Amino acid sequence: MELAAWLILLLPLISSGLIGIGAFRSKPVSAGFSIGAVTGSFLLSLVMVANVETLHTSVNWLAIEGLKFDIGLQIDTLSKLMLCVVTGIGSLIHIFSLGYMKDDRDFSRYFGFLSLFIFSMLGIVLADNFVMMFIFWELVGVSSYLLIGFWFEKPSAADAAKKAFLTNRVGDFGFLIGILMVWMLFQTVSFSELQLNDQKEGALILSGLAGFLIFCGAMGKSAQAPLHVWLPDAMEGPTPVSALIHAATMVAAGVYMLCRVFFLIQGTWAMEVIAWIGGVTALMAALMAVQQDDIKRILAYSTLSQLGYMVMVVGLGGDQDDHYLITGVAGTDAAMFHLTTHAFFKAMLFLGAGSVIYACHHEQDIWKMGGLRFRMPKTYWTFLIGTLALCGVPLFSGFFSKEAILVVAFKESMPLFLIAVVVAVLTTFYMTRLFIVAFTGDARSEHAMHAKESPNVMTLPLLFLAVPSVFAGYFNMHEPDPIILFASVIAVVFGALMARALYQNVDKDPLPAKLGIVAKAMNKRFWFDELYQWLIENVQENLARIADIADRWIISGLLVRGVHGSTELAGRLLRLAQTGNLQTYAFWFTAGLVAVLIFALS
Amino acid sequence: MILPLLASLVISFIPGSQVKAIRNVSLGVSGLSAILSLVAFCTFQVDGGLQFETKWVWVESLGLNFHLGADGINIGIIFMGAVVSFAAVCCADDITYRFKEFYILLNIMIGGVLGAFASMDLFFFYFFHELALVPTFIMIGVWGRGQNRNYAAYKITLYLSLGALLALIGLIGVYVQAGADSFSIPDLIAKVKAQPINESAQQWIFPLLMFGFGILVSLWPFHTWAPLGYGTAPTATAMLHAGVLKKFGLYGLIRVAIPMAPIGAQFWLGILAWLALANLLFCGLVAVRQRDLNLLIGNSSVAHMGFIFLGIASLNIIGLTGAVLVMIAHGLLAALAFGVSGHLYQQNGSLDMSQMGGLLRKMPLAGTALLMAMMAGCGLPGFANFAGEITIFFAAWSAGFKVITVIAAWSALVVGGLYMLRAIRNILHGAQPDVWKKTRDSSPLPTTAFGLLLALLLVFGFAPGLLTKGIELEVKKIVYLVKPEINEAKQLSVVAK
Repeated sequence: MELAAWLILLLPLISSGLIGIGAFRSKPVSAGFSIGAVTGSFLLSLVMVANVETLHTSVNWLAIEGLKFDIGLQIDTLSKLMLCVVTGIGSLIHIFSLGYMKDDRDFSRYFGFLSLFIFSMLGIVLADNFVMMFIFWELVGVSSYLLIGFWFEKPSAADAAKKAFLTNRVGDFGFLIGILMVWMLFQTVSFSELQLNDQKEGALILSGLAGFLIFCGAMGKSAQAPLHVWLPDAMEGPTPVSALIHAATMVAAGVYMLCRVFFLIQGTWAMEVIAWIGGVTALMAALMAVQQDDIKRILAYSTLSQLGYMVMVVGLGGDQDDHYLITGVAGTDAAMFHLTTHAFFKAMLFLGAGSVIYACHHEQDIWKMGGLRFRMPKTYWTFLIGTLALCGVPLFSGFFSKEAILVVAFKESMPLFLIAVVVAVLTTFYMTRLFIVAFTGDARSEHAMHAKESPNVMTLPLLFLAVPSVFAGYFNMHEPDPIILFASVIAVVFGALMARALYQNVDKDPLPAKLGIVAKAMNKRFWFDELYQWLIENVQENLARIADIADRWIISGLLVRGVHGSTELAGRLLRLAQTGNLQTYAFWFTAGLVAVLIFALS
Repeated sequence: MILPLLASLVISFIPGSQVKAIRNVSLGVSGLSAILSLVAFCTFQVDGGLQFETKWVWVESLGLNFHLGADGINIGIIFMGAVVSFAAVCCADDITYRFKEFYILLNIMIGGVLGAFASMDLFFFYFFHELALVPTFIMIGVWGRGQNRNYAAYKITLYLSLGALLALIGLIGVYVQAGADSFSIPDLIAKVKAQPINESAQQWIFPLLMFGFGILVSLWPFHTWAPLGYGTAPTATAMLHAGVLKKFGLYGLIRVAIPMAPIGAQFWLGILAWLALANLLFCGLVAVRQRDLNLLIGNSSVAHMGFIFLGIASLNIIGLTGAVLVMIAHGLLAALAFGVSGHLYQQNGSLDMSQMGGLLRKMPLAGTALLMAMMAGCGLPGFANFAGEITIFFAAWSAGFKVITVIAAWSALVVGGLYMLRAIRNILHGAQPDVWKKTRDSSPLPTTAFGLLLALLLVFGFAPGLLTKGIELEVKKIVYLVKPEINEAKQLSVVAK
């Protein structure tokens, strides 16, 4: 079994290594390796679920006296669930890519990167200590950099990749300092050892700080405010990559990590911060989504908003009870539950969007679509299921997981509960808007007019994903609370009716005219990017400029020329001594000899 | 280790017109010494202390011995040095005039570099370093690039001679103050262990050594020679100097300065930690502003020295081990980066990044090598640099340099990422400008060199234990020398168990 666990992790690495070494010459071989590896990992994960309760194994990576970094695998309920999500959805996305990337000249490179990404992600899932998690954290960062910037000749893609990596790096910086603090407090970085001696007195303030810093890592990866700016831009990558990174895996890593180390932050002041950051992100992103026109960007903001939900509920905590199957704590359990269902339907929505974009010849503006319903029936129906699930329509998977979140929020914090309900209304609103505009009505462009259903290799993964999108909610169902049930149903109905009233049979968005500056703010994402751009240009660049000038003129200039000058001066002085007069030399020679003698004899 | 020196002798007898023969002899010899060092590295007994010893008495009355040997600390460095030397010869195909002289100097330099790290005798330790240093100056002056080369050669000579001079005074101070009758480093260490140099003498010996060696390694604020020097140096010279020779100062700090003047070290290393931070942050920021690729790599290489200084300043087992690890990793990385940039320069005679773009498509091999070098440079796990850097963060944190660690982590993760990614964005990504249309990918020989360097970076990144086990054992001896109380406390706890 240990071998199988290692294989889950290593198969994608082997595949990416083989593609890198030589298999890239042949498209089918590369794709074969990559798909084989990820489905292999998926099957082995299923074997784990069926046969293994918990498993822990590790090898040493680096050991110096007083410091020990292991690479270890920790398999328990939490990681088993996540393994299945990552490899399962990963497999379908690999297959979908076969069709979507068919004509790309860097087909093999694409699959090599995908494998590398899956490897890094599985490393996070299986990690049994902080340092290993940090290692794979960085690796996910770089493989997403490679994937987002896959079409590197396109300036916008190259910039987006850079932005994603750097924003993540800011989060990682906090994460690293957090790990150092944990190490200082507990002398270990291993999760299991931390869990044993986590009751340290008097360290609450510090461990709160450590918890917050670790959360910074999650803020980067899970794109929480204020580090959310990279995610919408990251839509520049190929659409299957968006589905993989921005729905199922990478962004979920932050939430997963919080659940993994929840015992460390539990009961500290960091919890409250986390909950509020999550809530604010959820609301802000939902507002931004309302005024976006790019189909992938709407989904991206929706992902942000849903991640905000998950982070919020982790921060809320809630009661501990064994009937929370995944983690034993209401908050993290709800977060993981929503993470799972969300991974399914969001991956499906992204792939559906990919199918639409593919059919419309890489047109992404929803106002240039329309009437796709009859031209792309399979995509239409699966997209509808995804939308219903995301909105939380009763009986679909998203309904159950969203309700789990609302239940915890209702118990723990009224203001956050209200925010959550408003977000639910907004979610239904922007999804209905997207759906009505893109799929119903008349075609608004040539491409949309001639759109054809995508090939089977693309629609089959959609159909496969539709099943769990509907039913995944039933495996972790709890007794419904009537107030919450009422609130969430009202939210859905209200949001949908509003969107329907506004967007049925219109050719352009009526909202900007009605809301004016507010709509503009939503559209411009509350000017976060502009603010950061300004900060970078004025603070970072000026700092660098000052350093550069100081380097060039003060240090290099003064010091070097100073040395130069003094050497020259010394040279001139010495020249005075070299008179060419033999008597003078004889005098100095004798004087020197006397000096040496005095020194030697005394 | 002596092979390259013989080679330079051989080459001086080959007529200057036999370009191919000269190059092949150099290639063969450096390849052979790389293979021999690999054999030595593989057969090295981790807990065997000093091995592969060669000892000839030279001047008996002064205790001067020609004494070579390898222990846990320098075996890795020698191996790295030999591989980098081979890679440097591979990448030296940009020399178009005065072949013979260039290769003679190159081989002398290689011999000096390897000799310096293998010497167990203080005199030869210094002598070999000078032997390698002088060709560096000449090579920059004669074969350097651009209009600036005379100024650069002049500046680098001035700085490095000053550094070497300070270090020499410090070394003589050690010799005199220890009342030694031998230049042998192990003997000297044994001597000061029995009878330490008096405290006030340590207080002046250590800073002399620290700044002397520090200047050789481009310690802030004595670093400005480095980017300029590397920017103008011929490829092979830059690779060898930035990769290997520069590490001499750090090696000297660990090997000589700290053991000889432990009390001075404890006082002065606190200052070194701040200077290290200046290296990391300040030079990182300077690197952000560079438009020339070589200046960027040069500045980032200066910034990376900050890690090593910080590791040394932590003065604990973790820190010193990490420092040696980064020395080796950075040697491979710097050679790789300068090797690729040399190839780019050869294509177009310019390294202005604002004029570049989209080169990954045009030159997949060299481009990938550059991409991976940049990634290794911003501390990506999987490469040896990460293993060393994270070790140093832990070391500095546990040594109490908390603020420094925080700022250093920011410099490494964010500022480092910023300039590396900008470089990738400007050079490899984006659209391809016309001036770069006619360029070619690297030829097989340099490609082999890039591959070799990358492979080693990855091997040591995945299994840093290959290096750290040996380093740790030797470093322990040094740390126990400086802080005997740790050793005693540990022995007590062992007894108690």
